[in-house]
Amino acid sequence: MEISVIGSSEFILGFRLAGIRNTYAAVTEEDLVHIITRVLDDGITGILVLESRDMNRVPLRLQATLENSVKPTVIAIGAEEGGMSLRERIKRSVGVDLWK
Amino acid sequence: MALKDVKPTRSELIALKKRIALSERGYKILKMKRDGLIIEFFKILEQAKDSRGMLGERYKKAQEMMAVANTVEGAIGVKTAAFSVQEVPDISLSSKNIMGVVVPEIEASKVKKGLIDRGYGLLGTTSVIDETASAFEDLVEAIIESAEIESTMKKLLDEIESTKRRVNALEFKVIPELTEARDFIKMRLDEMERDELSRLKKIKAHSG
Repeated sequence: MEISVIGSSEFILGFRLAGIRNTYAAVTEEDLVHIITRVLDDGITGILVLESRDMNRVPLRLQATLENSVKPTVIAIGAEEGGMSLRERIKRSVGVDLWK
Repeated sequence: MALKDVKPTRSELIALKKRIALSERGYKILKMKRDGLIIEFFKILEQAKDSRGMLGERYKKAQEMMAVANTVEGAIGVKTAAFSVQEVPDISLSSKNIMGVVVPEIEASKVKKGLIDRGYGLLGTTSVIDETASAFEDLVEAIIESAEIESTMKKLLDEIESTKRRVNALEFKVIPELTEARDFIKMRLDEMERDELSRLKKIKAHSG
């Protein structure tokens, strides 16, 4: 299982320094959607790291797929968005907003 | 089950009573499962909040370090060091069972590396690169921890949702419909019995 990182070239550079090889630079929205779809289907990625800003740029349908995906687990970092999607799910499943 | 499809017979009544008993037993078990899952969820929720907080902090620190490295070493210097790193973090996946929900357990090794293991030349780079690499290694560790906790949470939430749906279907749809059908058969059988009784009384009156 591997970690993949998708984002701007500045974002992925640090992860390369930590030894992660599967880093993909995406500038335009088309690139982003194309690379994310490819990584979701590659079967070797266990954890997909995205920048929260990029997470908001992808179409809503893909965003929902990413939020619900377990393998790979998608981690959006950089803002509270990653937590927000979980917050919505908790509200829907448990009925109470427990993420406070 | 529509009432018009129900056959008012004694065997149907017995079968319905059995189904009601089974549904009520299933309902109780599923309710217990739902409560158990919610307790497990509460345990993991605190961990998830902590790991998210830690992830945010480490990301901020890593970004700051990257900015410093870019200033000291220049973009080319940082890129050269980054592309020289050879050691790849090793991640293995196993699974554990929480109340019938299979959740992943992620184990990682070689995330934190020593100076020599990183692969870039020590003489050609400053300590800022080392600190940046170390900050990003910490971040990767936090990401792995968060990934495990969040995927566990997602799976638990899915299971809670489906169990809740089943409990509600049994409580508000299946059991009330079966009870209604049972009451209908009982009423029809009683009515038929009264019919039979009055018919017998009439026959007796005529013959007498």
